[in-house]
Amino acid sequence: MSLLEGLRFTRGDSIIHRLDPRVKFLMTMVIFTSAILFLDLLPLLVIFLVQIPLVFIAKIQQEWTKSLKGSVFLALIIFSTNLISYYFFQGRSLNTENVETALALTIRFLNLITSFSLFFLTTSPDKLSLALEKARIPYEFNFAFITAIRFVPVLADEAQSIMDAQRSRGLELDKGSFLNKIRKYIPILLPLIINSIRRSLDLAEAMESRAFGATRDRTNLFELVMDSRDYAVLVISLVILAALIYMKLYLPPFEPLLSYRVII
Amino acid sequence: MGIIEVRDLHYSYPNATSEALKGIDLTIDKGEFILLTGPSGCGKTTFCRTLNGLIPHFYNGEMEGEVTVSGFDIREHPTYKLAQHVGLIFQNPDNQIFALTVEKDVAFGLENQGVPKEKMLEEISWALKTTGIDHIKDRATHEMSGGQKQRLAIASILAMKPKILVLDEPTSFLDPLGAERIFRVLDTLNREYEMTILLIEHRVDLATQYADRVIIFSDGRISNQGSPEEIFTDEATRLAGVGIPRVIELNDRMRSRGIRFDKTPLSPKMLVEQLQSRMKRVDRGRKAVDPDLDLYAGEQYVNPIIDVEGVSFSYPGVDKALDDVSLTIHKGEFVAIMGENGAGKTTLVKHLNGLLRPQEGRITIEGSDIADMSVANLSRRVGLVFQNPDDQLFSENVEEEISFALRNFGFESEVIEKRVDWALNLLDLERYRKSSPFILSGGERKRVALSSVLAWDPEIVVLDEPTIGQDYAQKERLRHFLMQLRTQGKTTIIVTHDVEFVADCKPRIVLMANGKIIADGPIKKIMTDVEAMAQASVAPPEIAKVFRELSEYGLPVDVLDVDEAVDVLSQFLEESP
Repeated sequence: MSLLEGLRFTRGDSIIHRLDPRVKFLMTMVIFTSAILFLDLLPLLVIFLVQIPLVFIAKIQQEWTKSLKGSVFLALIIFSTNLISYYFFQGRSLNTENVETALALTIRFLNLITSFSLFFLTTSPDKLSLALEKARIPYEFNFAFITAIRFVPVLADEAQSIMDAQRSRGLELDKGSFLNKIRKYIPILLPLIINSIRRSLDLAEAMESRAFGATRDRTNLFELVMDSRDYAVLVISLVILAALIYMKLYLPPFEPLLSYRVII
Repeated sequence: MGIIEVRDLHYSYPNATSEALKGIDLTIDKGEFILLTGPSGCGKTTFCRTLNGLIPHFYNGEMEGEVTVSGFDIREHPTYKLAQHVGLIFQNPDNQIFALTVEKDVAFGLENQGVPKEKMLEEISWALKTTGIDHIKDRATHEMSGGQKQRLAIASILAMKPKILVLDEPTSFLDPLGAERIFRVLDTLNREYEMTILLIEHRVDLATQYADRVIIFSDGRISNQGSPEEIFTDEATRLAGVGIPRVIELNDRMRSRGIRFDKTPLSPKMLVEQLQSRMKRVDRGRKAVDPDLDLYAGEQYVNPIIDVEGVSFSYPGVDKALDDVSLTIHKGEFVAIMGENGAGKTTLVKHLNGLLRPQEGRITIEGSDIADMSVANLSRRVGLVFQNPDDQLFSENVEEEISFALRNFGFESEVIEKRVDWALNLLDLERYRKSSPFILSGGERKRVALSSVLAWDPEIVVLDEPTIGQDYAQKERLRHFLMQLRTQGKTTIIVTHDVEFVADCKPRIVLMANGKIIADGPIKKIMTDVEAMAQASVAPPEIAKVFRELSEYGLPVDVLDVDEAVDVLSQFLEESP
């Protein structure tokens, strides 16, 4: 699950963290589209390397490397399936160009992962919800989103308590046949579900008591305000995107990095 | 006219066979501090729900009679309107926190009402200051302690500036110090801001001193109400199954021995003042009464059953939860592990049946290392009962629930039948044999969880916070049951922060703080060790608080319960004219 861990927000403070989430999302999308735009190794490598200084500015090297490590397995699958399919479609032969394309596709995948982890690692759910609100998504959805995140640690604790309690009553989860194992999860799932239903009633009462839905014109303690830095990043991102599209459409294609040679 | 007016209120939940409220008449004046108590299931919570219109707007069912709050008829105004006048705070703080950071959560109610930002900041900062959590306003809500969470829940309601606060057992999950902090906040709000407070509590020991009026609920009715002095000295209160504050009980018993005070004391402080006026300071020559050395030595046990040797454990990403803990527990011993939340108590007991494994050190049970034994194997000998019964009940009926573990352990069906019968009888659950555990009350569910473990008759019984959320009568019952286990020679370990319960049961005490055992010994020794108690953030029992202040008069400091206090005090007062 380390792949997902690389997407979980950990608190921190940096220029990247303070960036307006909408601008940051645009920035992420520029990296994302540029990775989709090109299929050559060179530009994809450049896109990958460009993100590294950003990661260091945000001081999220650790989490970011975690998400990279987590994606190694998938990356390997992408690389090898590409090579294997080339090998068989070309009549059991491979050349360096094939290796380069497979490599490029793998780097492209990594680019997608890292760009998103850069966004999610540095954007608090609170800010994300503000951005959603600005995007005119109905508040109810937004509230559900925040509540879901809020209760992840609570539910995790509860699941642990239930497992502990049932194991203390002699439940052995890892024993028995496959079907048996599934059946053994009933004593864990049932209390979890029933507790969640109870909790949702409690929550509804508490929401009512906090005047939920009292007015359509909800206010917000924190507002998203774009400052000059945000505008700067916004303009730079758009210029880069335009330049990349221009390059793709009007400049000659990239030379392959590895020379053309038949391997097998 | 009072700020809350209730006239002949009847209510029954949808599909219920009997009424939850059976005719309530009540007037509460502005600025009153009311303590409402009564046995579990007497309708206290239901009554709260009517005060901001959750009943009848949110819960259907049938309501008769009238409720007006600040002059608003609750039938005619929706809950979100009433929320501006009356704030409800519930038992479980986790279920009333909606935001990811403290400040944002306090803002939630105000945002819902559409309060402009500047005003919002003002109210939030006031609410955070009043509840004493302004220094952690940027903290993530899931990183707070239970006490802080409950204060946040209060702050979030306060920010909406209601004139009435209704709190439904707000301190159930807190230790005594956390509870006291909450009560002091309420006291400030009441005295400085003239807020009307309706506090529903089982913890009468700590709450009584703040109350102007006490109301006793029983079976959907108000059975008695009046000043704390009147109510808690009334025999009817005791009969309703409500706890009496220890100091008032002491006062009563002294009176029956012919020693009267001018005023009924409502707190240890008041009692100390009254006693002081009667006593003369003894001259230095007179020594304090010699303590009973036998009690200090504790009972003698010879057969060690659990041996914990230098165990350390840490959860991923957190500091040491257990730090070089060593502990020996003997066969037949009764031990209470005490300390603040997060001191490592539960972590320690989870090591005893292998749910957690020591990262350093080792644990032996009757001489054999448990490192290679499975949880299921160990559980046969060490029965762990967890705090919340809802974390384990899942069966169709109580009988099934109790036989679950027996089947897991591979008992034969005839044996299972016998054991289930035995366990049902043991905790007086026979009549619920075929009932679904989910329709039982909280106290009953707790008993089902307990008997589902006792059914396989483990040599060692470990109970994690057995008194949480239990009313006076249920606690008494539990205490008798524990005494019964003790006489049977069963090794019993309880993890608790309920210091009064411990003072009544008198087990050996193991005090923990920051993952370490900081004191261990007979209760009299530990409870009078002021330094260790402070380090573990455990408040002394009410009676001990009184005697701590009186040592200069030559009284012993190690008196913990009412019985002993009555003896010591009456003897002392008779001797000194």
